Amino acid sequence: MFKKGVLRELFDSLFGKSWPMWVGGILLAMMNILLFVIKYPWGSSSGYTNIGQNIFQIIGVTSLGTKVPISLHAVALLNIFVVVGAFVSSLFSREFGIRISPVGELVKGFVGGALMAIGATVGAGCTTGGFFTGLAALSAGALTLAAGFMIGTFVALRYLLWEMEALPNISMGKSFIFLTGTGKKTGWQRWLGWLMIALVLFLFNTYTASSSGAMKIIGWHIMIGLILGMILQRSRYCIVRAFREPFMTGEATAPVAVMLSILVALVGFTVIKYFGVGNAGEFAARAIEMKGVYANFWLRALIGGFIFGLGMTVAGGCAVGTLWRAGEGHVKLWFAALGFVIMAPLSKGFIVPAVKKLLPESMQKQMFLPDILGYTGAVVLVLFILLLWYMFAKWNEKTGKFSAL
Amino acid sequence: MQADQNLDCKGLSCPMPIIKLAKTMKKMASGEVLEMLGTDPGSKADVPAWCEKTGNVFLEHSEEGGTHTFYIKKK
Repeated sequence: MFKKGVLRELFDSLFGKSWPMWVGGILLAMMNILLFVIKYPWGSSSGYTNIGQNIFQIIGVTSLGTKVPISLHAVALLNIFVVVGAFVSSLFSREFGIRISPVGELVKGFVGGALMAIGATVGAGCTTGGFFTGLAALSAGALTLAAGFMIGTFVALRYLLWEMEALPNISMGKSFIFLTGTGKKTGWQRWLGWLMIALVLFLFNTYTASSSGAMKIIGWHIMIGLILGMILQRSRYCIVRAFREPFMTGEATAPVAVMLSILVALVGFTVIKYFGVGNAGEFAARAIEMKGVYANFWLRALIGGFIFGLGMTVAGGCAVGTLWRAGEGHVKLWFAALGFVIMAPLSKGFIVPAVKKLLPESMQKQMFLPDILGYTGAVVLVLFILLLWYMFAKWNEKTGKFSAL
Repeated sequence: MQADQNLDCKGLSCPMPIIKLAKTMKKMASGEVLEMLGTDPGSKADVPAWCEKTGNVFLEHSEEGGTHTFYIKKK
């Protein structure tokens, strides 16, 4: 589409080859810091919940519905534009294609998505909002959430290996692939990508032209969503892999990439919290400190994390991983998103109140680590845990002690 | 290229192709060649990485209309 030249060279260097996952990790952390400065650090599950609530609202089940339309919900729009960003980036890199997996896999996508919805609502956080953001935000619950993910992922991976032996038909059968970017007559794909970018710019402009601060914030979520989606797709950033690979192939690439993004976000978040950076009129310094800190320490996060870990492994993508793979055209992940969206309001309406009632206060505390350890102690603790995780991932990469394949 | 075994992973997304690949390779004899088909763009990096990790020989990769073909020789 370009005359061979420097522009083409630039385009090819961005979209010709995948980016290393750790590059994606650093860039995502920077975007997460921006989201924090603008309003609230990155999360995803509340956006799924809002979309689901809107569906229930439309079909008349108002007890599970909401008055906040998707067009006014920053996180719901962030999610949608992550899908759009991944769509654009996969069109540009000729990796887009509608891939319909065998029926059994579609069912696994839906069930995995529903489990993720239960886990994220019960545990008060997904891999992004609860763990990536939570750990960098020095939330104590992020630690037990991570332990839950690890156990859930381990169990679900055992299931997948068992399924392969006992029920091989689930992942076999008719599959289809349409509209791929390689082969004849595919020039339209890149034009469609540019058209989508123009559309996002138009929407961004519409929202930010408003005199309302809230609308400007939403406009920026649309823009950052697009950028996040592109980074995610190019680097194939995947938190499921960070938890799963040590137990599967033993590779440490994904764990290291996720650690690096937490590390970068940790520095940014700590500075923001320490100095109370942000809109002082809207948020008091304490409110800023408590952003990304959820009332889930410790058992609530552990249970939710376990269920979420099962779901993300069966679906093959966490909340955010589902979004970018959906944008790339994996229909299994469309079903995962659907399962998530439908189940989240149901879980929030029926399961979460029961769990909250059942668990004593001491097992669902909103605990900000610096309140106990001071900022230095809290940051050192998180660094120490990242280091332990790194040592484990690297040692296991060499010895394969925990890996199944 | 001549293959001794075939594995169809079309339509499947991560992690299923790698799990299937590992399972199939386990049953093959040393020196045999596997032809694997897949449509997940992630496989482009995952299959060579898995081969390197496990010591199997990654022979060839090609793509046509979104379908990737890999040739792998069992060590």
